[in-house]
Amino acid sequence: MTTLIKHILAIANKEAKHIKRDIFTLAVALILPMLFVGFFGFVINLDYHHIPLLVRDNDQSSTSRELLTQASAAEYFDVIAVHTPGEAEQQLHENSMRTMLIIPPGFHDEFTKGTMARAQLLIDGTDNTMASLATTYMQGIVQATQHALLEPHIPESPVIRTRYLFNPELNSHWFIVPALNTIIIGFLAILLTALTVAKEWENGSMELLLSTPLRAVEIVVGKLLPYFVLSFFDVLLVFVLALLVFRIPFQGSFALYLMACMFYITGALALGLLISVITRQQQAAIQFGFAVGLLPSFMFSGFIFPIENMPVFFRYLTALFPQRWFLQISRALFLSEAGLVDLWVPFAALFVFMAGMIILAVQNFKMDVEP
Amino acid sequence: MSISVRAEHVSKTLGTTKALTQINTLFEAGLVHGVVGPNGAGKTTLLRLLKGLLHPTQGTVAFTLQGQPCTLKQAHRQTGYFPQEPSLYPDLSVWEHLEFFRDLYDVDPQQFKNRAEQLLSATGMSPFTDRPAGKLSGGMYKKLGLMCVLLNRPSLLLLDEPTIGVDPVSRQELWDIVYSVAGEQMTVILSTSYMDEAERCAKVHILQEGHLLACGQPQTVMDDLHVTNFADIFLKHE
Repeated sequence: MTTLIKHILAIANKEAKHIKRDIFTLAVALILPMLFVGFFGFVINLDYHHIPLLVRDNDQSSTSRELLTQASAAEYFDVIAVHTPGEAEQQLHENSMRTMLIIPPGFHDEFTKGTMARAQLLIDGTDNTMASLATTYMQGIVQATQHALLEPHIPESPVIRTRYLFNPELNSHWFIVPALNTIIIGFLAILLTALTVAKEWENGSMELLLSTPLRAVEIVVGKLLPYFVLSFFDVLLVFVLALLVFRIPFQGSFALYLMACMFYITGALALGLLISVITRQQQAAIQFGFAVGLLPSFMFSGFIFPIENMPVFFRYLTALFPQRWFLQISRALFLSEAGLVDLWVPFAALFVFMAGMIILAVQNFKMDVEP
Repeated sequence: MSISVRAEHVSKTLGTTKALTQINTLFEAGLVHGVVGPNGAGKTTLLRLLKGLLHPTQGTVAFTLQGQPCTLKQAHRQTGYFPQEPSLYPDLSVWEHLEFFRDLYDVDPQQFKNRAEQLLSATGMSPFTDRPAGKLSGGMYKKLGLMCVLLNRPSLLLLDEPTIGVDPVSRQELWDIVYSVAGEQMTVILSTSYMDEAERCAKVHILQEGHLLACGQPQTVMDDLHVTNFADIFLKHE
């Protein structure tokens, strides 16, 4: 065994002992990802069902009843009939209304004559996600009503039938959970190693370590190894959670997914080490770790804000953050059969980030105690 | 194969503080050298400079191995250093520390077995091999640190205040270990602020506020400075 490997293994073995004996770190590393993905996976749900829909049916016709039947059947709306303007006003003031449908007299006549039948849909605009979804749902319900009532009499009409690929039911869990994996693993990996070198400086053990024949690369790689194993275990844990609890299908290559995880985790761990090497203080390292681990995960990964909709400068800025690239790979591999040919750009970006962080951590590792 | 060290015109500035000014001294091979001075005299800075953990702002530190000049890299590889501050891992046991430093110094397994047994027996630490460093007494902690650096059988041993915070019995044991290793195979340079310990050294280097006041055999230094004990040197220069 070469001296390099021997030294790396010695540091890795020592770190592994620290981890095993530090119950808090171990608990954070093993339980936090499951809690985070479990909690946010259930809490963040972009699908709206049973939206309260007040209905003032002034037509009371078979057409208006069919429209309401279709609305109830789809489970998107909970239909609540109001019979007087006063009742509608009271519901408005109680703030229980999210949407309100007003069907005017003569709706049925206009509908059957083939002229434009008009009804009014009022939507609570304070929640724009719900507002746009409610509009889409109602368009579908109107279409369904048309088909139910008119289709037998219309031989052929051009209709666009939409089919959603990779996520046929537009299940938001399928969209969110692979992204949560990206955020928690990246964030945790940075925090785990952000403390490790700073701790040695604060405890005084770094001076003794630097007086041995160790080289910077041996300390950096040795410190990365046990945290890599721990983070990789986290990835597998979250993966199993996604499959078994959230029933998300995994369509892509598992080997590719593991390779992406390897690049992503190593890059994040090396970034944490770089922070630790530069700050030399645990408190500063944690603050820095939070700033570079958590914020970009939410802001620049595409998790919340679609990257395509960002201003050009921010679109380019996102390229610096590995979260963006891993999220792209994670979603693609979970939901489609994308291969390396389709994903070579994010893979290359993750590799460059990983190599860059390791080189920076080694280069910035000072082998003396100069202030 | 002990090492001798010569410091020539060595100065060191840390931030805005002049920690050492124009130090010229020779640490001859095979002796026990004492770097003596009160707190803030520059003892730790000097030892760190000798180990290469700090770099001189001015001047040079030169090493000689068996009469031949050697590079800093060669010298540092054969130098053992135990700092003043607590620097061991509280959760690792005595034995785990020895194994860790065995791997860092690349000590052969058979040699390790012999040396570890020897050191454990000499320090009286054999019954405590499973005890974590964080649960050792002050004296045992220092002995463990000393064992870790001695595993490598260095040619130059640097000890920064090894007896500070240690009870009198453990102090004596630490000195016994130092005497037993120093000689043809090892030069020992230790710093101390205990004046009674200065007299135990073969040669003393007296530091105050970053300046070298004197160096030589303890009795010669006292005679030259017209004092009867080392404490008087510092009282006289205050």
